[in-house]
Amino acid sequence: MVLDEIAAVWINYNLTERTIEHLWIFSIALIAAIIVGVLIGLLIYRRRRYAPPVFSSLNAIETFPDIALLVLLIPLVGIGTVPTIIACVLYSILPIARNTYTGLISVSPELLEVGRAMGLSERFILLKVRFPLAFPMIAGGIRIAIVFTMGIVTLGGIFGAGGLGAPLQTGINLIRPDIIFVAGIWVGILAVILDGIAGGIEASLKRRFGSW
Amino acid sequence: MTKRFGETVAVDRISLDIIGGELLILIGGSGSGKTTTLRMINRLIEPDEGTIAINGIDIRTIDGIVLRKNIGYVIQQIGLFPHMTIRENIGLLPTIEGWSREEIDSRVTELLTLVHLPPDQFMDRYPKELSGGQQQRVGLARALVMNPPLLLMDEPFGALDPLLRRQLQDEFIGIKEDIGKTIVFVTHDINEAFRLGDRIAIMHEGGIVQLGTPRDLILNPADKMVSDLVGSDRLFEHIASLTVSDMMVPASSIISGEMPVQSAIEVMVQSGSTVAVVRDRAASFFVAQLPTLLQRRDEVKTVLEATDPPFFLSMDASLLSALEEMKAASASFGLVMEDGEPAGLLLPDDLISRLV
Ligand SMILES: Nc1ncnc2c1ncn2[C@@H]1O[C@H](COP(=O)(O)OP(=O)(O)OP(=O)(O)O)[C@@H](O)[C@H]1O
Ligand SMILES: [Mg+2]
Repeated sequence: MVLDEIAAVWINYNLTERTIEHLWIFSIALIAAIIVGVLIGLLIYRRRRYAPPVFSSLNAIETFPDIALLVLLIPLVGIGTVPTIIACVLYSILPIARNTYTGLISVSPELLEVGRAMGLSERFILLKVRFPLAFPMIAGGIRIAIVFTMGIVTLGGIFGAGGLGAPLQTGINLIRPDIIFVAGIWVGILAVILDGIAGGIEASLKRRFGSW
Repeated sequence: MTKRFGETVAVDRISLDIIGGELLILIGGSGSGKTTTLRMINRLIEPDEGTIAINGIDIRTIDGIVLRKNIGYVIQQIGLFPHMTIRENIGLLPTIEGWSREEIDSRVTELLTLVHLPPDQFMDRYPKELSGGQQQRVGLARALVMNPPLLLMDEPFGALDPLLRRQLQDEFIGIKEDIGKTIVFVTHDINEAFRLGDRIAIMHEGGIVQLGTPRDLILNPADKMVSDLVGSDRLFEHIASLTVSDMMVPASSIISGEMPVQSAIEVMVQSGSTVAVVRDRAASFFVAQLPTLLQRRDEVKTVLEATDPPFFLSMDASLLSALEEMKAASASFGLVMEDGEPAGLLLPDDLISRLV
C-alpha cells in the first residue's frame, strides 16, 4: 500500500533521474569547493597574517541566509544550476579552508624539527609531511561541507537548479504532501549515506595519517 | 659562540673543540643551552657571535641542506613520521637521493639489524605500532642511514624508563664502536654521561663550566657545582675504573743510594716530598721515607741503609687490586714501574685525601 504510493510518486516524478541530477550538481559543487577551499587554506598557510581577515570574511558569508544568497545570485548569474553551485562553494570554503589551514599548521614541532634537521626542504616538508598529516583534518572539513552542500543543492532545486529540490517544489506548489514526504525523506537518506561514507573515509585517513 | 633569544642568552661565549671520533657529552640543567648548542652545529639556528668549523671549514660556507644531510640528528621525542612505515622513515633520505628500492631495502635491513630490531617484523609497521624503546632505535637507525660522519643526539634515551634506558645504553656502547662516528650527545643524566662519554662538557647558564674526561671531572672538579654533579659517592663507584697511573704521584727525582742521609733529607724537604725513590749501584730501586730518614739519621750514613724494599706496581694495573695487594703485603706505598724505570709512587694516604 504505502510502498505502492511511494513507487507511484517515484515513477511519476522521475525521482531516479532527479537523484542522478542531484548527485551530479552535488559532486561538481563539492569538488569545486574542495579545490577552492584547500587552495585558500594553503594560501593563508603561506601568508599567515591574512588568516584573521580571510576567516572573518568567510564567517560572514557563512552567517548569510542561504535563501537570500541564492536570490541575490540569480540577477548576477541567471537562473539554473550555476547560482546553486556558487552558493554551495561559498558555504563550503570555510570548513574546508579552515581545516586545511589548521591541519597544516598543527603538525607537531618535533616532526618539523626532525624534518629540517634531516635536510628536507620546506617544500618537501609541506607536501610530504604537512599535507599527509593534515588529511584527516581536511577530510573533517569536507564532511561538514557535504552536509551544507546537500542542503543547498536541494534548496537550489526550488530555484530552477533541478535535482531533488524540483519535485519538492512541485509538491509545495500542488500542495501534495506525498511528494514532499517521499522526496524529502529520500534527500535525508541520501545525506545520511553520504555523510556515512565521508565519515568512513575520514576515520580511515585518521588511522593511516593520524598521529594518535 | 653566543646565541641570544631576545633577552635570554641561551649560549654564552662557549668555545668547544670536538675531537673526531669521540663521543662528547653535553650535560647540564634545564635551559643551560645544550639543545641550542646542537642546533647551531647543524645550522637549524645561526649563532649571533662566533663561528663553527667542521674539519676546518666554516659551516656558514656550506649549504644548510647539504650540511644537515651529513649530520645525523636524534631527539628525545624521536619524531618518526607517523604516516610512513619504518622502512619509509629510515629510507626517506635515500629515496630523495634516488637510491633504488633494493639499495634502500638492504640499507634499512642492515640498520634495523644494527639496532636490534628484526627487519622482517618491523619494516612495514607504522611507528605507533612500536614501543617507545623500539621507536627510539628506529630514530637512531634513521639518523645513521646516510652514514653521516657526525651524529647529534639530544637526550635520545630521556623518555625511556630506567631499565630500558640502561639496555639501550648498553646496546649503544656496542653500536658506537661499530659505527665509529663523532657524536655529540646531550643528557641530563650524569650516569649516562659517565657510561657513554669519552669527554664531558658541563654546561650551566649557557656556558661551559668544565670540559674533560670522566676522570678529570672526578679528580679535579672545577668548582662545587661540578663536584656536586659528579658526586663524591661517584668516586667510589668509579674508583673501579681507575688505574694505578691515574692516582700515582710522578717520581720527581731519583736519589742515589750513596747520598748521605742529611743531603737526602734536604733534597726531599726542598722538593716537598715525603717519599723518594732511591737507586743503588746495581740499579735496583728502593724507597726512602722522610720520617724514617729523620728517625734514623744518626745511626746510618747513606740513604740506602734507611730505605725499605719497595712494593712494585705496574702503571696499568687496576687501582683497586693494587690497593688490595698492598694491603695484603702491608705495604704503605707502591713503586710504579714503567719499562724497568720508576714512573711514580702510589701513596694510599695521599690517594684518600685526593679522593675525598
Ligand atoms: N627558539 C627559542 N626561542 C626563545 N628562547 C629559546 C629558544 N630556544 C631556547 N630558548 C631559551 O634558551 C635557553 C636555553 O635553551 P636550550 O633549549 O638550549 O636548553 P637545554 O639545555 O637544551 O634545556 P633542556 O635540558 O630543558 O632541554 C632557555 O632559556 C630557553 O628558554
Ligand atoms: Mg634541550
